[in-house]
Amino acid sequence: MDAGLLEQMLLGALLGLSVYLPLRCGQLSLATPGFFAIGGTVAALLSTRVPALAGSGSTYPITSVLLEMALAALLTGVLALGLGRVVLRLRGIYLAIATIALVEILRVVTLNLEFTGGALGIFGIPQPFNSAAGYAAFTLALLALICWLCDRLEKTRPGRAMAAIRDDELAAASQGINTADTKLLAFVLSALVAGITGVVAAHFLNSWNAKLGNFDASITTLAFVVFGGSRTWLGPVFGGLLLTALPELLRPVGDLRLIVFGAVILVGPLFFPQGVITPELFKWFKPRIGGITTAAAQGVKQ
Amino acid sequence: MLRSGGLTPAPMKRRLASSLAALLSAAAALSACQGTEDQGPVNLSKGVPVGAVLALTGNANVYGQDQKIGIELSLAALNGAGGVNGKPLSLSIEDGGSAEPSANAAVSLQINRGILALIGPTLSQQSFSAGPIAQRRGVPLVAPSNTATGIPEIGYFISRVSAQSSVIAPLSIAKALQLNPGIRRAAVFYAQDDAYSTAETVIFQQALTAKGLKPVTVQRTQLNDQDFQSQITAALNQKPDLVVLSLQAMDGGNLIRQLRELGYRGAIVVGNGMNTPNIYPICQKYCDGILIAQAYSPELQTPANQRFTAAFAAAQARNPKVSPIPPQLTAQAYTAMQVIGEALARLDRRQPLKGLPLAQARKALMAEILGGTYQTPLGEIRFTPEGEVIQKNFFVAQVRMNAGGKSGRFSLLP
Repeated sequence: MDAGLLEQMLLGALLGLSVYLPLRCGQLSLATPGFFAIGGTVAALLSTRVPALAGSGSTYPITSVLLEMALAALLTGVLALGLGRVVLRLRGIYLAIATIALVEILRVVTLNLEFTGGALGIFGIPQPFNSAAGYAAFTLALLALICWLCDRLEKTRPGRAMAAIRDDELAAASQGINTADTKLLAFVLSALVAGITGVVAAHFLNSWNAKLGNFDASITTLAFVVFGGSRTWLGPVFGGLLLTALPELLRPVGDLRLIVFGAVILVGPLFFPQGVITPELFKWFKPRIGGITTAAAQGVKQ
Repeated sequence: MLRSGGLTPAPMKRRLASSLAALLSAAAALSACQGTEDQGPVNLSKGVPVGAVLALTGNANVYGQDQKIGIELSLAALNGAGGVNGKPLSLSIEDGGSAEPSANAAVSLQINRGILALIGPTLSQQSFSAGPIAQRRGVPLVAPSNTATGIPEIGYFISRVSAQSSVIAPLSIAKALQLNPGIRRAAVFYAQDDAYSTAETVIFQQALTAKGLKPVTVQRTQLNDQDFQSQITAALNQKPDLVVLSLQAMDGGNLIRQLRELGYRGAIVVGNGMNTPNIYPICQKYCDGILIAQAYSPELQTPANQRFTAAFAAAQARNPKVSPIPPQLTAQAYTAMQVIGEALARLDRRQPLKGLPLAQARKALMAEILGGTYQTPLGEIRFTPEGEVIQKNFFVAQVRMNAGGKSGRFSLLP
């Protein structure tokens, strides 16, 4: 089993969750790669320029990675808070365009700043783990934590308020939901997830440059959610895992692999307009799985 | 009122747990692919395994396609001459795309297959990302086209056959001044969103300044620009008599055409990005006269190069549309494969590969690669202990377009 591919899939799943969070309240934000790039740049800069973080061991200390994550979360959170206040007044496609603008601004700024390495980027980023398996375990724990938080969110007041805004913003507002704050909360959470994912990605990729957080990445991450489904957190996770792995798994197909990959992205929404994973799927599965487990339990008793 | 969390009913917890479990098993199943044990012996059942990771898709795909031809020609030549002391080389080529994650995945895949050495990736940025993987796993990696500073410094197992731009680029400036000593005012163009371009322009600007020609203007473009009127007008206002471009084939070719159309008559020096016959259809008759420094000249009269150019012309004869003259990228990729093939043959004579543990064979091969001297299409090459190429011959060529402006050649200057 190749842990490197697993790690890339897990990073894809995290980015999928970052796009999913604003979509939970019906906000189409494509800013995820922007915040992802901020996280990556923070990690790349801190780990290559601050000797105090390097520690004394042969590998880069995990505590330093956690510190980078905290700083990236702080930076992306504050930026999302300020920016969200303004751009979340826009809706639908206008919000999408405004968030694309953010991604482009960050890219151009990165290209023009001396200390971010311009177009070449920053390389020689130190490694906190000796193998890809270490990264995969760390990212798996991170993904599990964020999935758990998303699951909690779906069942608590802010989460239900987000769902209400997605279904009908006017009705939600008339029920006493503070729609502006709820949308802002989703946007900030999305930024935090993307930012800390960027920190892990920068270490894993050994190098960081402006291309990694460009408009193409906006579309790829959106595809994770469109393909997987945006009604439950499992959808974007599934979409992120599958669509990141697919181009690699299709290698035996040879030159046709990207064509097959494109066809899968096309066919997915055609047959599953709500995404592959929907709450209905759970309803369909529950009695069957429940039945099996009950039967199994009875079998054990007998 | 909406119920807030806290008291979670048991079925919900079960749903979360089972969802997570299903997710993880799905992830594990999806990424399941067999890795080989590095401590086992080299697997020679299908031949001596060598791999390549090239940019066959994405925006660098034209470079990868050129390299693929070179590697395959070299493989045919090596196997035609008996392979590794009678055992044929078996090559697997994987697409590394034009981005870092795809290059990393392809490099890991090749290493897991048990290859002895790896050629690639195409772009310097990809090497900065994938190189450390090869270094950690102890696999010799020979980069065929990376020109950025710092590639062999990634580690012991990383080397390259492509001379870095800091060695080559200044030669064309010197030649331009030799041809026209009256040059006083230089204008510089580069694409600010392109890694190659930003790295090379620094070297060009240093070379100009060293010759007492501090650029009168530095114009920035974008990789995907088509229209350069505003930058050209701004530059022409400074009355330059030398224009230095660090651009890729497409944008560079377009810029040259527009530069000439807007009335510029002076000398033009271009960088490695335009070192390909693919520029002819873009700037056509306006390509004529541009100066370029090269790490390879098809006109080099050595047995190794004559064998290579003949093999290339024979391979391309099936397609009359393409030029029968090999570009630099193809020659460098050919060289990378040749270096690995010859080093493997020497290693096999010293320590037979059969039965040698894979990790030990890779390590010994790296020492063998660095220790050798090679007669290649690029001329004679060696390596520094770090893995940087030491090349004897460099060339400055001038583009000569044929009447009609559809085809041309890089004519070697004395």
